[in-house]
Amino acid sequence: MKASGKGPVKFRMPTAENLVPIRLDIQFEGQRYKDAFTWNPSDPDNEIVVFARRTVKDLKLPPAFFSQISQSIQSQLADFRAYEGQDMYTGEKIIPIKLDLRVNHTLIKDQFLWDLNNFESDPEEFARTLCKDLGVEDPEVGPAVAFAIREQLYEIAVQSVSSARESRLSKKSRRGSDYGSASKASGLSMDLVKLFSFKSSVVRKRKDLDVYEPMVDLLTNEEVDALEAREERHAR
Amino acid sequence: MEVTTDRSSSKDAELELELELYTIPAQSSWFVWDDIHEIERREFTEFFSESSITRTPKVYKEYRDFIINKYREDTSRRLTFTSIRKYLIGDVNLLRKVFLFLEKWGLINFLQKSDDVVVEESEAKIEQGTTPAGIRVTSTPNSTRPVIAPPLVEERAEPALTFPPLTSYSDVFKKPALVCGQPCPSHSAAFYEHNNKSNLCDKCFKNGGENNSAELIGSSAAAAWTEEETLLLLESVLKHGHDWELVAQSVSTKSRLDCISKLIELPFGDFLMGSASGRLRSSVPTEDEHLSSPSNLVQQMKTDGQEHKETETREENEEDEPPAKRKRAAMMSDGDSYLMKQVAAMACKVGPSVTTAAAKAAIAALCDEASCPKDIFETTSDYKNSAADRSVGDKDTSDIEEQQEEKEGLEDLPVGLRMRVSVATALGAAAAHAKVLADQEEREMELLVASVIDQQLKKMKSKLKFLEELEVIMDAEEKVMEGAKETIIQERISVLQSAFSGGITKRWDHTCVK
Repeated sequence: MKASGKGPVKFRMPTAENLVPIRLDIQFEGQRYKDAFTWNPSDPDNEIVVFARRTVKDLKLPPAFFSQISQSIQSQLADFRAYEGQDMYTGEKIIPIKLDLRVNHTLIKDQFLWDLNNFESDPEEFARTLCKDLGVEDPEVGPAVAFAIREQLYEIAVQSVSSARESRLSKKSRRGSDYGSASKASGLSMDLVKLFSFKSSVVRKRKDLDVYEPMVDLLTNEEVDALEAREERHAR
Repeated sequence: MEVTTDRSSSKDAELELELELYTIPAQSSWFVWDDIHEIERREFTEFFSESSITRTPKVYKEYRDFIINKYREDTSRRLTFTSIRKYLIGDVNLLRKVFLFLEKWGLINFLQKSDDVVVEESEAKIEQGTTPAGIRVTSTPNSTRPVIAPPLVEERAEPALTFPPLTSYSDVFKKPALVCGQPCPSHSAAFYEHNNKSNLCDKCFKNGGENNSAELIGSSAAAAWTEEETLLLLESVLKHGHDWELVAQSVSTKSRLDCISKLIELPFGDFLMGSASGRLRSSVPTEDEHLSSPSNLVQQMKTDGQEHKETETREENEEDEPPAKRKRAAMMSDGDSYLMKQVAAMACKVGPSVTTAAAKAAIAALCDEASCPKDIFETTSDYKNSAADRSVGDKDTSDIEEQQEEKEGLEDLPVGLRMRVSVATALGAAAAHAKVLADQEEREMELLVASVIDQQLKKMKSKLKFLEELEVIMDAEEKVMEGAKETIIQERISVLQSAFSGGITKRWDHTCVK
């Protein structure tokens, strides 16, 4: 897997498995259905219907949810597919991914670097290792972490499509250092040249260690309730 | 770096070395600090392809050295990827790849075996060669530890392999085995001679423990397991799996420990515990029909021989439910049941008359050997007859119940003899079957040899024919040649004649001669 800017690649999720993060948040008649999961865009579309029906049945939701769920999934997939034909910028792009999420009683804060060009990356594997190493017992945390990573990757992949379009428009001059243009295109990526040069070390400085260290907190019931109430207020 | 091979009593040798020693597996002896080995280059082509500024050999070496040194700071604790990734700058997926590579080769975490290694994706092919024969390597000169360290490193050659204890067994077998005389005062005084040389009274025996006195350990409330309770137990185990609290609740009169111990004793109990995820739903109905006469069932479970005969019948019953049968087959894990299964299989193959003959011969031989009357085996042989018949014939439940009732008459036979009888029968049946097979093989061999010879003959014949034809052709050609020769000579003669009759000039003569 050559990593340098070898030319544009068709848009896809930059992970080993091309799975799209789908988020659902449907409210109807006082009931709220919130969910987040990954979907395989190469699944046939009737799978959406099957999934929606199954969900409504399992969670005993009113039947109006069925059409809302399938519509929401379809529109998110359509968005994804709209990008699919286009070119994505490739090239060294190591970005920091931040985690700041709460799953039931577990609070996770973390930051780490992710190579957007590493098409063998696996958010689910990373999440599994994280939960195992930190001794997280709640089995819902892993998938939530993987989902958060995927969402961020998706966003950045989308951004790289537009940046690829930009650089194509003003293409004539930009033959030179792809790395420079990459880091300018999205302000997120690191200054790779400086970091990985011959003189510097890849061992992180002590002052940065805290930022890149994962933190897991277990909340009490009251804290969970307080946080949930706050989130509700924000949502409205 | 010095490398010394592991010696079992190398303490004196260690005293000589003043450097820190670490153990890595023998397969990883290629590793050197100063250089990057071919194995590493092959594994991490992305670092060595010079196509990226973030992936260079220098970066790889830094990652690798840092991780290994971090591990060696404290080899007693297992280094996790999460604890180390915060120290290194770079793509976490790549770092993880390096980490897994080092772990796989035992360069880190060699002495700590992760218990949920299986959970990790197949990427991390953990080397199973964690033999105690490790190679001692010294630390790098520029590691974080001082080079001159206390001379002795403890001989940690054995990997710290621990298996989680089986909860059910340790729960149950806490107390030493009790002889039944004490906890069951109400039982009769008749004692049984038993394989295990432990004396059990017949009631306790009947109540379901034959080979292990597990039931008699601890709880005195584990007196009788009625059929309803056994049924309930099995159903709840299938439903709740390993959740013994729920199981105990379902079987309301029995405590958690009782349930576990009872389940162990049942011949298929181990299997159920192992497959308690509910895979065996298909076999629940068949169990029910057998449990319909569980008192007979319980009495059956007196000896290995009988018990496994019973499982054999159950097995055959399920031929109409192939998936359940396959699982049952998998259940026969211990050697004795396997043996009985073989008996059944062989009995099927050679037919009832042969089986009975073999059984009779076996019994006769055994009796001569043990010098006990043949009469005691009368019922046994009948049983075997019926078993053989039945195993060849139909597979109704009713037959089994018949047979079960028959078996009740064998209560007083010593266990050891029955075992031997069955084994001998097995051998007899096996021998008969083997002879049949051998005869078949011989005949086949003869047939094959004959056909080979046949083929050779045919080959020879065709060759001869070919040569004959050739000869005929050659003869014909020879004749033609002769004929041609003659005509040429004739022509020559006639030409000469005409030449002579015409008169020869001197000149022509000369030319002729020439």
